[in-house]
Amino acid sequence: MISLTELQRDAFTELLNIGMGRAAAALSEMVSEEVMLSVPFVDFMSRHDASALIQEKGSERIMAVSQAFSGLFWGDTMLVFPETKSLELVRSFIQESFPLEDMTEMEQEAFMEIGNIILNSCIGSIANMLHQEVSSSLPSLWRGACTDILGGQHASDTDDVVMFLRMDFSLQERSIDGYVMFIIDGNAIAALQASIDEFLSHV
Amino acid sequence: MAAVTTVLIVDDSRLSRMMIRTFISNAHPDWSIVEASNGQEALEKTAACPVHVMTIDLNMPGIDGLTLATQLREHHPTAHMSLITANIQDSVRQRAAAAGVRFIPKPVTEEHILAFLAGMETRHD
Repeated sequence: MISLTELQRDAFTELLNIGMGRAAAALSEMVSEEVMLSVPFVDFMSRHDASALIQEKGSERIMAVSQAFSGLFWGDTMLVFPETKSLELVRSFIQESFPLEDMTEMEQEAFMEIGNIILNSCIGSIANMLHQEVSSSLPSLWRGACTDILGGQHASDTDDVVMFLRMDFSLQERSIDGYVMFIIDGNAIAALQASIDEFLSHV
Repeated sequence: MAAVTTVLIVDDSRLSRMMIRTFISNAHPDWSIVEASNGQEALEKTAACPVHVMTIDLNMPGIDGLTLATQLREHHPTAHMSLITANIQDSVRQRAAAAGVRFIPKPVTEEHILAFLAGMETRHD
């Protein structure tokens, strides 16, 4: 069974907070608007419960960009928006660069790029703080029901306990809410714990 | 004899509080440090004592750091304050400046803390 000390849990949360701060600054530059950030949430739960928690936010159909990351710790990270709002975000990002008739073609690519920048800002700053190198896979785009997407990636282990880190953000002028989450499984959590302990030993 | 300098560290992360406390204590081992994990606790702990230096996180449960800074300023008008936050957007820096509060980005470093404290010493000289 996974267990964290209070300080390890605090450190995980704070690393996510700092990582998302960097990511929000990048997103803010892209869309020329302030990004409001929530207090981070960290807990252990099954993938199924993580999916249920996401649906409580009312986002049954979502558009998401996911990236697997690997190195001394590993897992999946995902940027998620409600499907309808994701198109608004993309349009606000690319409207000055592309004519409207090309928009549909560009939407997916632009959304992947937004995800790539945000997720890498977040992972990169966490890795830097831990003095680790973490590499990311190419981003994958997902569109559909969130249970299908979360269950679909790892259908065989939906009952495994994972560490679920989540931080919500919003663009108030556009009423767009989204979130970033990390899903890290048992073996990777142990590796991440070791990195955190090494980091804490220098504080 | 000069009164002891009192520092308030407000952050919901214990890790961040530990780091900030370590950097300040290394530079000024004789200073008194009060910690709070949220805005309400900060207000309660400082209601009856003078505070000279404050570091305040922005993104906390309950009162946010900038609102807290404004409330603390009413009781401690000469305190040297800095926001210490992972939210490094320009808009946040601007709001901090407008509130007369310094800005230190996370992850917090000893260099940033020492520069912040040096600013206080310059201002008070």
